[in-house]
Amino acid sequence: MGMDFVMNHVWLRPLFMSVLVVTAVMTTCAWSIWFERKLSARMQNRLGPTIVGPAGLLQPLADALKMLRKEILIPRDADPWLFRLAPPLVLFCTVAALAVVPWSETIYIADLDVGILWVLALAGLMLLPIWIAGWASNNKYALFGGMRAVAQGISYEIPLLLSAMVPVILAGSLNLKDIVRFQHDHGWFVLWPPGIGLVAFVVFFVTSLAEANRIPFDVPEAESELIAGISVEYTAMNLGLFPMAEYVHTLISSAVAATLFLGGWDGPFFDATWYDGVVWMVLKTGVLFVFIYVLRWSLVRFRSDQLMYACWVWLLPLALGLVGAAAVWVKLTQGQG
Amino acid sequence: MAQLAFGLVAAAMLGSGLLAVRSRNLVHAVLWLAVSLIATAAAYVLLSAPFLAAMQILLYTGGVVTLMLFGVMLTDHRHDGGAPGRLSNDSAPQRPWLGAFFAAALFGVVAAALYQTPLPVPAAALDASTARLGELVLGDHLVAFEAISVLLLAALLGAVALARKTDP
Repeated sequence: MGMDFVMNHVWLRPLFMSVLVVTAVMTTCAWSIWFERKLSARMQNRLGPTIVGPAGLLQPLADALKMLRKEILIPRDADPWLFRLAPPLVLFCTVAALAVVPWSETIYIADLDVGILWVLALAGLMLLPIWIAGWASNNKYALFGGMRAVAQGISYEIPLLLSAMVPVILAGSLNLKDIVRFQHDHGWFVLWPPGIGLVAFVVFFVTSLAEANRIPFDVPEAESELIAGISVEYTAMNLGLFPMAEYVHTLISSAVAATLFLGGWDGPFFDATWYDGVVWMVLKTGVLFVFIYVLRWSLVRFRSDQLMYACWVWLLPLALGLVGAAAVWVKLTQGQG
Repeated sequence: MAQLAFGLVAAAMLGSGLLAVRSRNLVHAVLWLAVSLIATAAAYVLLSAPFLAAMQILLYTGGVVTLMLFGVMLTDHRHDGGAPGRLSNDSAPQRPWLGAFFAAALFGVVAAALYQTPLPVPAAALDASTARLGELVLGDHLVAFEAISVLLLAALLGAVALARKTDP
């Protein structure tokens, strides 16, 4: 009775789901930092964290405690309010996208009709606090980082939007749950329409990596040129919020890619319970998430101009062509549109 | 409840809009404008038009405000008087009548549109769902939609022509 009451309540349900999903995602992200350090260490024939806890498992807790205990410094010439406001806003814009990601038929926070637009709008909105962090620091490296982040973000947003429109056109809905249900009935979009779906998935994945500022697209951070860019003047937990937002963003990008192209929670074996399908969704998200780490420690960074060239000359026309191809496919297979 | 929500959103829109106009710091002005635009998106949500709200954030706050910041960063403010990024009207010619004229013209257009709308609007005409919007924009009003696209393109080309000082 208790669970059913919560699950059917108008605002208890979203509240319960928010707490559940955000806690799960934040915890995953904290330990994914441990996982990434271990993975990169193994890839480079090192050991990684070993001291705190068995196999260094308590390292994220130690890092968090260290961050919390440090002093928050605000540079004399910084814009004090914007400087303080930027890191929480970056994290807010990132976490808010979780609201529409469906983890299964029943595990989601909000069933929004414009779900995918909400995710993309927040990805665009996130550029603003990132730029604010760079500008308010009143440091040339930070400002360069901020400008690079915005230039990169606003460029890659266009192919990201266009490639996300391919599943939308095919499924005929902006609602992420509808898109998953459509894939359940007609097959995952990574498999069909032949070629179009797969290429759209690759374009979406690559551009969402760029939106999340992950290697090989992390030119706004570029510690070898910009000594970490926007976060250079930040200390303590203010500094910690940037990587936290980045990890959450990476996780959400993986989850959205899994939802749009890999069939979301759809898959064999798991059905009929209230947590139906969440296993598949977590598995698919996890595979993409880990793949991003493997990429990060395998590739080198693009130069800023190469990044822009790749976007405007290759990805944008490709994404436009994909949208056109998807529209033609729908027209041809469904008779009249 | 709806009245209270609308009141809060309207206050946020007007307050941040006022701050955007009054702010002496150009970057602060642009950021207040962003707040005002987000509040407008909230107003769309209250009017049950989530598609418009998402587009408002995607295009205006994510796109236009970002481009404005580019404009601020890429233009030369050393001749504006004072520190970089500080606004000052001292060196610019004062033309308050021009601003008043455009404000009055905009108000006239909006007031005329409001005056011609029969209120209250019948419920059937209030369908702001994404599908209905798509049908209206790309069906009934396709010509107007395309005309606006061409207008925007012309404005873009005009801006490029004005900004470029010499021919390459």
